[in-house]
Amino acid sequence: MKTRLLLPLACALLVTGLQADNEVYRTWTDTQGRKLEATFRGIENGQIFLQIRNGYVYRIPLDKLSAEDQQAAKTLKPEGLGIPADPNLAQAAARIDMLVEAGLKKAELKPNPLASDEQFVRRVFLDLAGRIPTREETLEFINDPSVSKRAKVIDRLLNSPGYNSHLFNYFADMLRMADSANKVRYYTYQDWLKGQIADNVPWDKVVYSMMTADGKLLENGATGYLLRDAGMRLDNLSLTLSTFLGANVSCAQCHDHPFADWTQRQFYEMAAFFGATETFGAKRSGKSETAAMMRKAVASLDDRRLQQQAKNLLRVNGMAIEETGENDMKLPDDYKYPDAKPGDHVAPKLIVWSDDKTKKAYQGIQTKNDEELRTQFAKWMTSPDNPRFAMTIANRMWKHIFGIGVKEPVTDLDDPNASVNPELLRHLAAEMVRLKFDLKQFLRVLCNTQTYQREATSHELADNTPYLFPGPILRRMTAEQAWDSCATLVVGADVDKFKAHRGEQYAKALNIEFGKGATPDALKTQIENALASMRQFGGNKAAPKNNAKRKRKMQQAAAQGDEEDLAVNPPVRNGLVLARASELPQPERDQHFLRMFGQSDRQIADSESEEGSIPQVLMLMNGEAQRVIGQDDSLVVETAAAQKTPEHQVESLYLSFFSRKPQANELGDAVAALGNGLTMRDLTWVLFNTREFVFVE
Amino acid sequence: MSLPNKLDPLSRRAFCERWAQAALGVTVLNGVGGRSFAAETATINPATGPGFGKAKNVIFLQMVGGMTHIDTLDPKDGPTQGPKAPISTKAGFQLGGTMENLAKQADKISIIRSMSSKTGVHASGQYLIRCGYEQRGTIKHPNIGAWAQHFKGSSHKTLPSSVCVNRQPQNGNGFFPSSFAPLPILDPDSGLQYAQSDASPEQLIKRLVLLDQIDARFRERFQTAEVKSYTQFYDKTVSIMSSTDLEAFQLTDEPEALKEKYGRNKFGQGCLLARRLVEKGIRYIEVAKGGWDMHNNIDEGLEEHGAELDVALSALLDDLKERGLLESTLVVLCSEFGRGPKINGNAGRDHHPKVFSTLLAGGGIKGGFVYGASDKEGMAVADKQTSPQDFLSTIGWSLGLPIDEVVMSPSNRPFTVGDKGKAVMELFA
Repeated sequence: MKTRLLLPLACALLVTGLQADNEVYRTWTDTQGRKLEATFRGIENGQIFLQIRNGYVYRIPLDKLSAEDQQAAKTLKPEGLGIPADPNLAQAAARIDMLVEAGLKKAELKPNPLASDEQFVRRVFLDLAGRIPTREETLEFINDPSVSKRAKVIDRLLNSPGYNSHLFNYFADMLRMADSANKVRYYTYQDWLKGQIADNVPWDKVVYSMMTADGKLLENGATGYLLRDAGMRLDNLSLTLSTFLGANVSCAQCHDHPFADWTQRQFYEMAAFFGATETFGAKRSGKSETAAMMRKAVASLDDRRLQQQAKNLLRVNGMAIEETGENDMKLPDDYKYPDAKPGDHVAPKLIVWSDDKTKKAYQGIQTKNDEELRTQFAKWMTSPDNPRFAMTIANRMWKHIFGIGVKEPVTDLDDPNASVNPELLRHLAAEMVRLKFDLKQFLRVLCNTQTYQREATSHELADNTPYLFPGPILRRMTAEQAWDSCATLVVGADVDKFKAHRGEQYAKALNIEFGKGATPDALKTQIENALASMRQFGGNKAAPKNNAKRKRKMQQAAAQGDEEDLAVNPPVRNGLVLARASELPQPERDQHFLRMFGQSDRQIADSESEEGSIPQVLMLMNGEAQRVIGQDDSLVVETAAAQKTPEHQVESLYLSFFSRKPQANELGDAVAALGNGLTMRDLTWVLFNTREFVFVE
Repeated sequence: MSLPNKLDPLSRRAFCERWAQAALGVTVLNGVGGRSFAAETATINPATGPGFGKAKNVIFLQMVGGMTHIDTLDPKDGPTQGPKAPISTKAGFQLGGTMENLAKQADKISIIRSMSSKTGVHASGQYLIRCGYEQRGTIKHPNIGAWAQHFKGSSHKTLPSSVCVNRQPQNGNGFFPSSFAPLPILDPDSGLQYAQSDASPEQLIKRLVLLDQIDARFRERFQTAEVKSYTQFYDKTVSIMSSTDLEAFQLTDEPEALKEKYGRNKFGQGCLLARRLVEKGIRYIEVAKGGWDMHNNIDEGLEEHGAELDVALSALLDDLKERGLLESTLVVLCSEFGRGPKINGNAGRDHHPKVFSTLLAGGGIKGGFVYGASDKEGMAVADKQTSPQDFLSTIGWSLGLPIDEVVMSPSNRPFTVGDKGKAVMELFA
């Protein structure tokens, strides 16, 4: 089917592309007689863009070329995907394409044809901004005659608020971001991560902060990573190693790893770097003076219920990381190997990757006594010299964009040679280092590759066949992409405006100072004030209450035609809060669209599901989302209804849902159905329930 | 009321057939499950030993987080005892102090006290005790419900043969078709949500017909497993919307007193729902209960979660017995691992896969029986080590599945129910 539709494109591809021995290279000469062998990428604003064999793109004023070449440029058809944003970027992207194509060639495979503008715009919006484009955004792109429009839209989306939301969702799944764990709220942790993403803080810095954070969760959101697993430092370390370093060590927590090199001892030696870090019950351990004073302050409260609430409040305030100054890591009671005895003290020691002996992971930063253990660990881990740190995040970001990692699973990079394309994997790691862990720049390179801008692979891969990236893989939208796209259909691009900032409010309301000089009386006053404000957070369990009063006010305002401030209040329809998933409870409640569509419960890292289920399909067919999308006050319906003919109405809906115009037979079927008792509302239901809507081409 | 229930039976049938043929090319009323592996009960060997095939249904209670065996099914004296002293039962064995109600039902249950596994990681332990294989990146293994559907076909005309309560399905179908996946009920009180369309039957048919036309191009272009699986889910979902047995998922018909007896919490109501589904002919029901990862303050944890388990499980056994369903229904209770004998610095217990306990009742299982033993502290197996594979093979045996039969996955790798485990024959009466 695809072959039939896209035959002309496929044929074009056979003679284009960046293969080094390609015939479309020609020799260009400038007015001074200098020569350049390059392929023609297009003309814009009097500049000609010529790409040489290593991928670099020259931008030359057209009138600097020889008269003959000026003439040639006017008749030649530009190769490839249009003009890239800058020459270095084009070169970086081309290198990746060459490695991908080398891998395909080895397996005697061909890359997929280039994706159409319609396929591209929907995909790039979903991959970078986490939602489908609106009808207007689609039309703006499709109708833009500029040859640099793909590069431009990539840059625009990378700097859009949607980018921050979408990347947050990815990390929220990876890091098990949950509003509530250990009977405490982690809002400050979420806000902190959102801030890091918005400021585009380099990944090594982000992780370094998480590993070395100190103090109270309420005051320093970065502590959230270690405190997520308060009191479970072995579990936390196991996740740290697999999440950030692709070191598959979970087995070694209990025994020597059966396949990889990890021993249980090595695991404990790594854990010893956290042996002087207290994450459970810090600030309220029985011995400290503060604890005694707090007990006194609580006891002085009038009734039992208040005392209980005060205890919860102090639990929240006690959630903190403190250094004890002494590593207390010991081997487990059932340690069974001959090199040590159960219960032996373990000294901290960093691991080396056996396949890369020339490049020791702990180069130059081996155990210094004057430095905190965690600092040593964090420096080693996030160093550009660590052979796994850059590779892991590079592979993860590749998967984020292409739907499947160069090495799967992304949590196991023990053997990079087991990857489907080891050279590509190593190159991506090197790129991550070259770009100084700037994730935005890295994604920018990936999206500018031809590999990314090809059609999605449409056939079923035979079992155990490696995926060599003839293009991105067809994948179902993530739960967050699907939800954010639904909200986009109803309210349009404004959906990106609302930001929750719950951490700030939470910390302000609940923080208690136990500084020196605090007296039980002063503490008591602080506790009473905090308890009063705590009520808005629904005690110990619920998310901040969606204040009924506020909701009513908002509805009144809407009814009176007042301008709603979408940055402060997200729109609500039929009980659904139409904000981006990143601004809703983490994770959403069980029966929410997001969860039914596979949002992780945030108990297990990287556990977002892209599977269907019967309840999910029941929800798509009969739930609130389809109703809200099909109502008269939904943007997609309003826009279509404003069109004059049924044909234009159908076309408007197609652009909104699929970012393309309907084909003649599709238009015919839909218009006929409209004449045969189906309404606009029915039509939105139908488009919403297609496979085409939930899959990303 | 579900959509076609508004129609008389004849029109309903006509609707289903018309829709099915017009829109999706399958005959709904023949049942969708089992069509890829059309095996009938009759093809299975007749009983080959005690207990074989005694269970028609299974209720699989999975304690998530690592249930402390010492405080529940395998109590100890001395320093490892935990917050509450063991209680004696008339069956002669003791239970953990929190199991007050279960103690009165000890004559209905068997306990395996010599379970042992190698993984102390939650996700992989949960996977292993549910599917019998270690979790791998390359293949997904089926749960026993999917195995049963493979060997015995669907247990119900329109409803799924497997349901999972309080949990996501998480690949329960394994390498079998996605239509073998358990139907998740995430909240027993709300039951099966969204079972009713907001369009009239006529309107819905028109919608479905147009949906099929409009989406045909995409489905033809992308014939991948994921897309096909979605189409299967749409098939199955419409068949469920047309089912007359939808009330199986509604607890509203149950008397308040009974709801109370099971405990007003998700697990209690989940157990009640499981009993209801057994009555309706759903073969395999998983009910999950979290809260067992008691690293900190185990006394508080047991007060809440131990008590919830005790109340719900006892009510379930009672209820099944009263209705005469216990003989044909196997109830099992398991967890990914136990918890260590040592109380740690945070007044909790840590992961302990080396020895732990499971419980079985009904479905031909002996009452008042203990199989195997842990040592004095509850640290290691002292007698008759039993693996998760043995445990699952026992369930398969009770259901009458050919547990030795090798089935090839679509990737052409050999698998058996319970990965060649041995059914524990001593458990059967």
